[in-house]
Parts: sequence; structure tokens; C-alpha cells
Amino acid sequence: MSRRSVPGQTPAATTERDGDGRRPLEPVVAPPRTWRERGGRVLSLLGSLQGYIGLVLVVVAGVLTKGDVFWNQQNLTNAVGAFSSRGILAVGETLVILAAGIDLSVGSILGIGSMTAALLLTRWHLAPWEIVPLCMAVGLFFGFCNGAGVAWLRVQSFVMTLASLTIVRGLDRQSSDNVSVGTQVVDANGQLAPFSAAFQGLGTPGHNILTGLPLPIFGRTGVYYPVVAFLVVCVMFQLVLSKTRFGRHVYAVGGNETAARLSGVNVTAVKIAVFSLSGMLAGFAGPIDAAYSASADPLAGTSYELDAIAAAVIGGASLAGGRGSIIGTLVGALILTLLDNVLGLNAVSDNLQLIVKGLIVVVAVVLQRPGLLISLGNFGREFTRRRTR
Amino acid sequence: MLTGPPLLEMRGISKDFPGVRALQDVSLTVRAGEVAALLGENGAGKSTLMNILSGVFGSYEGHVLMNGRQVSVHSPRDAQQLGIGMIHQELNLVPELSVADNIFLGRELRTRWGALDRTRMDRRTSELLSGFGLRLSPRRAVRQCRIAEQQLIEVAKALSLNVRVLIMDEPTSALAAAEVDRLFGVIRNLARQGVAVVYISHRLEELDEIADSVTVLRDGRLIGRRAGREVGHAELIRMMVGRPLGDLYPREQAAMEGGEVGLLVEHLNLRGDQRNGRAALHDVNFRIRSGEIVGLAGLMGAGRTETLEAVFGAQPRRAWSSRMRLNGRPYSPRSPHHALRRGVALLAEDRKAQSLVLQNTVRFNISLTALGQYRRWGVLSRRLETAAVNGMVRDLRVKTPGLGALVNNLSGGNQQKVVLAKCLLTRPRVLLMDEPTRGIDVGAKAEIYGLMSRLAEQGVAILMVSSELPELLAMCDRILVLCEGRITGEFHRGDATQEAILEAAMARTPVLAPGA
Ligand SMILES: Nc1ncnc2c1ncn2[C@@H]1O[C@H](COP(=O)(O)OP(=O)(O)OP(=O)(O)O)[C@@H](O)[C@H]1O
Ligand SMILES: [Mg+2]
Repeated sequence: MSRRSVPGQTPAATTERDGDGRRPLEPVVAPPRTWRERGGRVLSLLGSLQGYIGLVLVVVAGVLTKGDVFWNQQNLTNAVGAFSSRGILAVGETLVILAAGIDLSVGSILGIGSMTAALLLTRWHLAPWEIVPLCMAVGLFFGFCNGAGVAWLRVQSFVMTLASLTIVRGLDRQSSDNVSVGTQVVDANGQLAPFSAAFQGLGTPGHNILTGLPLPIFGRTGVYYPVVAFLVVCVMFQLVLSKTRFGRHVYAVGGNETAARLSGVNVTAVKIAVFSLSGMLAGFAGPIDAAYSASADPLAGTSYELDAIAAAVIGGASLAGGRGSIIGTLVGALILTLLDNVLGLNAVSDNLQLIVKGLIVVVAVVLQRPGLLISLGNFGREFTRRRTR
Repeated sequence: MLTGPPLLEMRGISKDFPGVRALQDVSLTVRAGEVAALLGENGAGKSTLMNILSGVFGSYEGHVLMNGRQVSVHSPRDAQQLGIGMIHQELNLVPELSVADNIFLGRELRTRWGALDRTRMDRRTSELLSGFGLRLSPRRAVRQCRIAEQQLIEVAKALSLNVRVLIMDEPTSALAAAEVDRLFGVIRNLARQGVAVVYISHRLEELDEIADSVTVLRDGRLIGRRAGREVGHAELIRMMVGRPLGDLYPREQAAMEGGEVGLLVEHLNLRGDQRNGRAALHDVNFRIRSGEIVGLAGLMGAGRTETLEAVFGAQPRRAWSSRMRLNGRPYSPRSPHHALRRGVALLAEDRKAQSLVLQNTVRFNISLTALGQYRRWGVLSRRLETAAVNGMVRDLRVKTPGLGALVNNLSGGNQQKVVLAKCLLTRPRVLLMDEPTRGIDVGAKAEIYGLMSRLAEQGVAILMVSSELPELLAMCDRILVLCEGRITGEFHRGDATQEAILEAAMARTPVLAPGA
């Protein structure tokens, strides 16, 4: 009624017809250089950029309130470093959510991973390149159990991983007798032992993780392995999702399980795989977290799963499955971590921080929704029409 | 009778979607007691026009008048208050709720004390359903009903609303002749009571029977309106497609006798399952030569879909037993995955539930099953994939703004083409098709028939289930008839007639043939 459109400006209105009444082939996929296609590209680009609004807002807030104190390499690296282990969890969580599941056990698996790392380090003095794969194997095992329960026993993933959340935490606390284990081992002369120094390198800048020797400092911070590990994991899994058959199958299982099965997707295998990968990544995050905090606490990783889910959801993943991406999750993780940082720098009280973070989750999810601008427009039109009637 | 003032009038309706002008200046009038048919190719805008009328789309340009007074329909509630009911093309039932709960959803009957009055709802449900000759427990979950049953449940739901205008968007696309007849009885009854009915279908024969007027759309524009019974199919097709159409059924010569046996099925038994509505099969035997098109006819619940699903490995392995051979080698399909690897493909019956990932793109859906072909060192090659998908989209004339469009936004018939494209990309040796032309327009049907003939010539063995007998008669070299899970008839191309097939399809119903 109140809406007016100019014929000829909408691309579809230009479907032309031959003189003799025969229809030309549908303009199915126009060659990529037409204006219509370009217009579509620009629109979809703008649409995808919409997801970054939240990130931009947080950065602007940081710069406005704290200026250089916020916007410098050291602060930013520290902020992201502190979040890296949770970011790695979020990548695995995204895989599970894409397949229409949920994994509540990642925090506990991170906990048992960090405890495993600390025990291997203090009892057997293993090197990081031995510790990390073993922790990943531990995580893989628990992830596989989750997957088996979901795919074979048909337990809903929420229930299955809720159970393993408590089971794994119990094992973690049992294995450590409820005391935290420090990872900084000193030798006879009061120096950090080389194996311990190497392990420390996993979480803090300054030490080579292979040799334990001091590293030259780049810029003002040095090589920050947690950040590197997080980014590498992101890139790897984004490629897996967008460039491999397995990735497509994950989206298909999450989008419509029946259709996936009838399309020849091995649904059972896909489900087991996503949970296993999520567990493995959580196991990988364990030693990083232990090194970062220089100890393995029996409660390490508690409620990290909530941050992981929040990052995925803020990044555009749909809990109904089939929609989302790792890039999105990376953005979501950055929003959460920088927000933490900005609030901390502004000395906002802890309680207030919790409230603000909760609100931000909702706001960010609404902001990144595709077509938001359009629906706002519709709402406005609707609103004015109802009013004028 | 049909000369009174129009009950419903739509004037100058236009509607845009991002990148698509779905309707442009379309008008439609319907009188009380009239059955107005709406006709047009896939993507012509029929469903969009009717969705506007039933308030699904909040905004549109143009005017809607009821009884000459302008009204505004901006939400399904508005439509409901105006007495407009719609049966949507894609089924909209809540799978986990019972039949009765679905029919009374949002308008539940209550007892004096506010509790749900299940007895009354169940009774009313049974009454409504028996109008279509459907004996279905009102307490059964809709999830367990076959798609034809679900379609009838949708109709019953709309009828229970006491509407003044009833919109039916392809209500018969999954129904066989007998059920269609009963449905028409119900429609005529409604029309006599003064309800205005808008009826959308791609089956032209149905219009001869039921339509008082036919309105044709093409590419979102109004092409014309004709009085129902005086207009020939050829003219309707010309109006729809914009040019006369050659032979609808291109298949003339039957496959050569003595070709290799593509698929051999012996002693197929399937355990029935009341809980999920699975029909039982008893000792079903057949063979399909490569290059042969075999039809599978039968009534609702006869076991046609179950037969295809068993051959495709989509029924649990424990539920069935059979000796099957594929191209001479033993074949025991454990899963669809396995069947596809052996070159058997299934075009499933229910595109929304069983075939499409609606929230994903055309590209994703079409290439999903055939992804293995587009890998280079384990990495998907976007170039190869795009080339293959593009080819299919062009061959089948899928009307879409691009490969990145969401399948959910395509028209029903174009969604069906996407499913077909997906199946064909796997290059099957044996193609199982369950209602392959469901919701597809005449022009596209001709193209799909042509495609099937070409596939057969290339040696593909095709087994096709269809509720449209003319389609089976014209396309198949042989027709098998199932009745209550048993094969009750087999006809060769020459000697198959509608009557003979129907008789065989009802062979085991006690009324007709005791001890057939
Ligand atoms: N929600 C939507 N978003 C974008 N485009 C849409 C949407 N709904 C419909 N369209 C487009 O509008 C056009 C008309 O679609 P419509 O569903 O009305 O066709 P139809 O005549 O019902 O076809 P069919 O016989 O296949 O059901 C199509 O090109 C379709 O892609
Ligand atoms: Mg339609």
C-alpha cells in the first residue's frame, strides 16, 4: 500500500521475452560481470559485514574510553591470549552446534586436559611436544564417548554432554586429589627447569616451546603461542568446513538429518566425528590453559562451555543447526574477550560485568542477524501504517 | 448461480522479494460458490498471491476487497477474522502432535471446566476425515502419517474453520485418483454452501472437473481469465507457457526386450509397523532391465514407497528380507550411503522433510550427494562443483536468482527440480522415483519426461511411483500394481488401461474381489 517500487529497478523485472513469444532460457546464473550480479555481490558483502558491527562497537567503546591504553599491541595480545583456550573450545563447539548438537563437556575436558598436562610435566618431565598430543588423545577419548552416546545410544546431546560434564570433572578432581598442581618446576639452583620453561612457553611469551630457551622478543610482546594456536585452529577448521566434503556433511546433518541420510551422508559418523573433534580441541586447550595460569587447578575450565557457546552464537551459529561459521565464531570470541578487557580497564565491578556481558550476548545476536536492516524497515512501515489508519 | 457480486476481489497486487519481482499488478475475483482455478508455471507467483491473501506476507501493494469493502490483510490473524482459510503447498503440521491436536491447534475445544475436551475433538476429527474416506486414528502422531494422509489432514483442518474463502494450494499433488474424487465431492459441497474456493493445481484434467473459472499467471503477471469448462488444455498451456507445447510424453518405443537385468528383487518381505505408519510387504518380486522404465501403481498405503525405500536401504535392515541383485551381483542395501555407492538413487516422496536442507543454498543442495566427484586431493573444487550444478540448473530450468539463493525461497515446483537435479548428479544406474513430478508444471513435466527417456536410452533402469495414472501409462514399459503389500497385477505397455490398473489396485479390498 504505502510501499512503492519502480519497475525496472528491481533486477527481476527485466526478464525479457523474445519477439516470437518463445521464452529465452531463465536468467539462471548470469555471467559474473553483469550489474545485477555485482549489485548482489555488494549487497551480500554488506550483509556479511553486518556481523562485524558488534566488534566495531566494542573496539570504538574501548578507544573512546581508554584510548591508547586499550589500543596497543600488548594490551590486545594479552586480552586475546587470556581468551585463547576458550576460543579453541568455541571452535569445537561450533562444529557440534552446526551439526545441531551442543557440547556442555568442553570445560571439563579442558580441565582434565590441563591436569593431565601438569601431572605429565611434574611426574615425568615430558616435553610439550609429548604432552600436547597425549592431552589431545585424552580429550578425543571423552569426545568420542559423547559422540557414541549421541549417535549410537541416541541420547540427546544436551543430556549426554551434561552427564560427561560431571563425570569428567569428577575424574579430574579425583586424579589431582583436589589440589592444584603448579607447572613451574625449579631445579637445584632455583632456576626454572628447562622442561618446565618449555612448557611455560605454551602459555606465556618468552620461551621456545621446543628447547625451553629464551626467545627474542618481537615487538613488545614476543611470540604468544596461545594466540597463534587459536588462530591456526580457526583457519584450519574454517577450511575444513568450507572446502571439504566432511564440512558440507556437517552442515547437512544440522540442517536436515533425514535429508542428509537419504543423500548418502553417514550421519552416525559425522556426529561421532564432530563430538570427537570438539573433545580433541578441548584436550588441546588444556595444556595451554595450564601453562597460561602456571598451574592446573581441579576446577580449571569450569563454565568455559558457556563462553564457548556464547562465542559461537554471537558469531551467527544457530542452535537449531546448519547455520554458522568459524570466522563468525572468531568474531564472537573477539567480541567477548575485548568486551571483558574494556570493562576491566574501566574498572567496572565484577557483578556489573556479568550483567553487561549477558546483555551483550542478546544485543550481538540480534545485531548480526541477516536482514536486520530490512526487517527494521518493514517494522517501521508497518508501524506508521497502523498508526495512520 | 455465479452471476452475483464478487465475494473476494484482489486488485493490482504487486510483491517484491530481494532480487525477484514475484507479482506485478495482478487481479483476481471470486464469487461466492465459485471454484476459481489459478494456473501458471512453477514460480509464476500463484503461491505468493495466495500467501498475500492469507496474510503470510505482511506487506504488499494493491487492494483486497471482500463483499466490495476494502480490507487489509497483514497477518494470518487478519485473514482468519475475515474468514479466509488456506491449505499451504508445503505441509504445515506439527509432526509430534496428534491428528486431532493438529486440526484443532489454537482453537482447542474445552469442557466446562476448561480442560481439553478430547472426546469431542476426536469425534469431530473422525467425522471430518471420514468425509475423505480416511480411517485414521485421531490420536496418531502426524509424524507417522504418510504424505497423502497429511495432505488430507490439512484439508480437514481448513474445513473445520468454517471459512468463507478457502484457498487450496496444490492439495492433490500427492493424492491418487480415488482420494482426489472424494476431495472434489467435499469441494463441491462447500461451493454449494456458498464458499468461494481458490484452487491451484498443475493437473489440467482436474480443472475440467472442478473449476468454474481459470485464471492464468505467467512470470508474476496476469495473462487472462477464462470460464472453466469451455477452454481447452492446449489453450491453457499456451497461456501458461507462452508457446504451444509439443508432445507431453516423448516416450514412444518401449525398451528392447532382453536387455540386461539391472535390478532383481526376489521375495521382498517387510515387517509393517503401526507406530510409524509403515505398510507391510509380502513376497514382492520384480525385475527391471537396464533401459526400462517400470511403474509402480497402487492406492495410498499399498506399500509403494516402502518398496522403493527398501531397495534404497532406507528401511532398517532388520525389518526386511529379500534376495536382490544389482547388475548381476548380489546386493543387500544396508544404508542409503551404501545404495548410492552402488549406483542406486532415490528421489524421495517428501521434498521438505526428506530431501532438502531448506535453509541452505541451491548449490549446497544440488551437489550434496555427489560431492565426491568434485574433490581434488580431498579438497572440494568450487569450479567443478559450480560447472556441474550450473549444468543441472540450466537443463532443468530451475528458476532461481542464483546458485546462492536459499532453497526455502524457491517456489514449490522449483524445489522439486532441485531434488531431481541432486539425484541425477549422482549418475545412477538404477533410479527410484517417488512421485517425481509432484508439483511440477506441464512444461517442466514434459522436460522431465524427456530426461527420463534419455536416461533410459543410456541404460538406466528406472522404477517410478506415481499417483497420476496417465503419467504411468504414457511413460512406462511395464506397470506393476501393489495392493496391501502384494503385487496384484502386471501390465505391459500395450495392454495397460486405467480401469485394469485400478481394479488390480483394489483387488484385495474385500468389497470388490473376495479372494482375488
Ligand atoms: N520468501 C521468498 N523470498 C524470495 N523469493 C521468493 C519468496 N517466495 C517466493 N519467491 C519467489 O517468487 C516467485 C514466485 O513464487 P511462487 O511460490 O509464488 O510460485 P508458484 O507459482 O507458487 O510456483 P509453483 O507452481 O512452483 O508452486 C519465485 O520466483 C520465487 O523464487
Ligand atoms: Mg506454489
